Amino acid sequence: MAAQLSTTVERDDKRTLVVVFLRGGADGLTLVVPREDDHYYRARPLLAVKKQETINLDGTFGLHPQLAPLEAAWKEGDLAIVHAAGSEDDTRSHFEAQDLMEHGGLVAGGWLGRFLRARGPGTSPLSAVALAPTLPEVLSGAPGATAFQQIGEFSIGTETAEFSRELRRLYEIESGPLRAAAENTFEAMRRIEAIDVKASPANGAAYDANDDFHQGLRQVAQLIRADVGLDAASVDLNGWDTHFTQNIAITGNITSLGGGLAAFRRDLGARMAATTVVVMSEFGRRFAENTSFGTDHGRGGVMFVMGGGVRGGRMHGEWRGLSRELLEGPGDLPVWTNYRDVLAPVLARHGATATAMGKIFPGHALKSLPV
Amino acid sequence: MKKTSRREFVVTGAAALVFSAAILRIAQGWIKNAGQMLGFGLSRPLDGPLTPPPNATIDPVAHVLNRLTFGPVPGDYAHVAAAGVDAFIEEQLAPETIDDTLCDRATARFTDLWCEPLGEHYEEDDESLPPILRRVTTLRAIYSRRQLFEVMCEFWSDHFNIDPGKGDCHWSKPGDDRDVIRRHALGNFRDMLRASALSPAMIWYLDGQANAVREPGDKPNENYARELMELHTLGVHGGYTQQDVMEVARCLTGWTLRSKKQDTRRWELLNLKKLAERPHEWKPFNMRGEVHFEKECHDDNAKRVLGHEIPAGLGAGDIDRVIEIVASHPSTARYLATKLCTRFIADEPPTAAVDSVARAFSDSKGDIKTTLRALFATREFRASAGGKLKRPFHFVVSALRATNAHTDAQLPLLSYLEKMGQAPFRYPTPDGYPLEAGHWHATLLWRWKFALALANNQIGGTRIERTKLQRQIGSDVAMMATVLNRQPGAAESDAFLKSGDGLALLLASPVFQRC
Repeated sequence: MAAQLSTTVERDDKRTLVVVFLRGGADGLTLVVPREDDHYYRARPLLAVKKQETINLDGTFGLHPQLAPLEAAWKEGDLAIVHAAGSEDDTRSHFEAQDLMEHGGLVAGGWLGRFLRARGPGTSPLSAVALAPTLPEVLSGAPGATAFQQIGEFSIGTETAEFSRELRRLYEIESGPLRAAAENTFEAMRRIEAIDVKASPANGAAYDANDDFHQGLRQVAQLIRADVGLDAASVDLNGWDTHFTQNIAITGNITSLGGGLAAFRRDLGARMAATTVVVMSEFGRRFAENTSFGTDHGRGGVMFVMGGGVRGGRMHGEWRGLSRELLEGPGDLPVWTNYRDVLAPVLARHGATATAMGKIFPGHALKSLPV
Repeated sequence: MKKTSRREFVVTGAAALVFSAAILRIAQGWIKNAGQMLGFGLSRPLDGPLTPPPNATIDPVAHVLNRLTFGPVPGDYAHVAAAGVDAFIEEQLAPETIDDTLCDRATARFTDLWCEPLGEHYEEDDESLPPILRRVTTLRAIYSRRQLFEVMCEFWSDHFNIDPGKGDCHWSKPGDDRDVIRRHALGNFRDMLRASALSPAMIWYLDGQANAVREPGDKPNENYARELMELHTLGVHGGYTQQDVMEVARCLTGWTLRSKKQDTRRWELLNLKKLAERPHEWKPFNMRGEVHFEKECHDDNAKRVLGHEIPAGLGAGDIDRVIEIVASHPSTARYLATKLCTRFIADEPPTAAVDSVARAFSDSKGDIKTTLRALFATREFRASAGGKLKRPFHFVVSALRATNAHTDAQLPLLSYLEKMGQAPFRYPTPDGYPLEAGHWHATLLWRWKFALALANNQIGGTRIERTKLQRQIGSDVAMMATVLNRQPGAAESDAFLKSGDGLALLLASPVFQRC
């Protein structure tokens, strides 16, 4: 008989945190539009999203029309939004800003990695997964973190039945931890192989079959359902560096983001209560549009937090408006909320203690938002 | 004679010279590249007898090969069996006497790692250096005949761990690898410790540049001082106090480095007015990456470290006193002996072995060769055959060596190490990759997948000449004994034949996970 996979031991919480990183610097002012602000419409004569096209959130802000699939989550209180969020890095360099945001400061290892380490040695071979070709910095230092693009990679293949059988036999002669490790591995493979990767998602959720981001989220949902002990997952959505003809460049990405998140929420259904999705980007973009119908690197961006326990249906964090004297440097929306203050309450819900928090975000005096 | 830096060369030399030198460099790279891409140059000729281990258990010859190397190459067993275990140990303790042409050829073209001065690394692309360092380190482990030296480089890289992912360490870790780890790996511990304390990468990694006392009341940064005692010397229970940490931090105040970050400031200072106001802040580019002592940031009052008085006024001399005190502390001998015995004997090393290794370390004032010689001579070392789990890096390299694979050590290979959790220089915290097996048991999946992919030539840039290898080694039994480093058991022979992929099965088997 196969040994119990260590993850089947009932844990107090089987929560999963999903981090979605919008790489390239996503334009927060297009995703979540300050629909009543004349400064916005003056600064972006070509790029502004028309008020009547936005989906009203709270009278001040409106969602980009392609984010319409997220309206239900907002109305049902599962989606919180933080505007003017970001890091203290003001180099406006993708590399430096992503690095700082993933590391959580000028420290080694990623904040998600430190969070998972603080929870003690992982027992599941699938505790931390990046749906990516390589491990992102945010997961650096996580015990047993692994990266793959298709969950089918977590298998030694079906054409190797004799190989598996003989391998199992050799490990059965073993005793001690190596045997246990082999049994855990076989059991994890069994669970992964039991996932019908082609099965339709639950509750009529519709992922786009040709969209890598959608397929990433879909696989995360499959891992959550299969109870493989997934504590954290990372999925990237690239291509937000819209210096040139932004409206053409960004629309597909926004569609992907809105549709993917909505499908994921629908797919997980009740299990969303134990799942949180955080969406972040290294920085927002310049307030005023440039002469090539795009926007340049800026500072404050937007963050989304969706899932169980989220105090959603409202905007969090400070908002002072967009009048000229409030802008920073070359004319950027400043960072009024540090991204750590958004992540900390989420991590706390996922089991980070106050002591651990000091290690996850060293050198930062937390002012957690009530998200 | 002072070496001409690359920048000076560019600035003073004629453009044509630069141009032709660049062409030459590209051409050289191409010639070597082409050879490597075709699998020439890097394939290891197997000469001499390839007689595999004759015994059913890991015998003393197989044991030293398991522990002192990243795994034997076919023929290594016969070589050591002929020379004798003790002669092999002595040979490995004198790496400078071992010809290493193959390894030199495998790594020669990575010239980015050798540039001088260190500050010129800052001109390299942000993200290019750490991957090159990973590649070269992997290639050396695979191709070098100075195996114990490479094993010790790995040991010290963990002991003095620096994550290149932290800020300027991107640029400065290659210099640390060269000037601290490799220069002293089999030298004297005290020299290595001092080199590490003044290594730009270490200063950046553990916040030395923030350890300054400009005016009374400034608090020193304790980060390095604590790790120096907790991780590099005495060990966490080595008998130092919080007061000692604070006193050591005071001793080290003022040691700082000129970093990449200062470039921005320097450009601001091209504003001549500002420059006239603050001329002392002008730092020429070619001093980047340089460690220096800022007297005005040093706390020059008297200190007391681990019971030793350090008088006021020693200035830059404080650091030498600190290194002397911690390096010669009995806890340091004990702590290092324990770590070395953990690496070479067992996860919970026998006290008797630790005692004699610690004594050798103390008596030789930190001579690493003497210490290792004592370790390899212990009864406990000789009796510990086959009981340790290979860490992922050791596993991967040993598989490549056992099958005489040739590889360019590019991402397709390194990504397996990443999935197994031990890509070189990817460990974030100063304690380095753990030595103990418990850390590495999360899953065996990637080891098994690697075994299958390697045996079937499915890893880009990596290849086993399977037919040739089989022909050279001979029978199935000889092949099994060569890979397993002992004669196969009945179950192994049976599984080998029935698995449909015998070579992969051997590499994935329990005994191959151990050393």
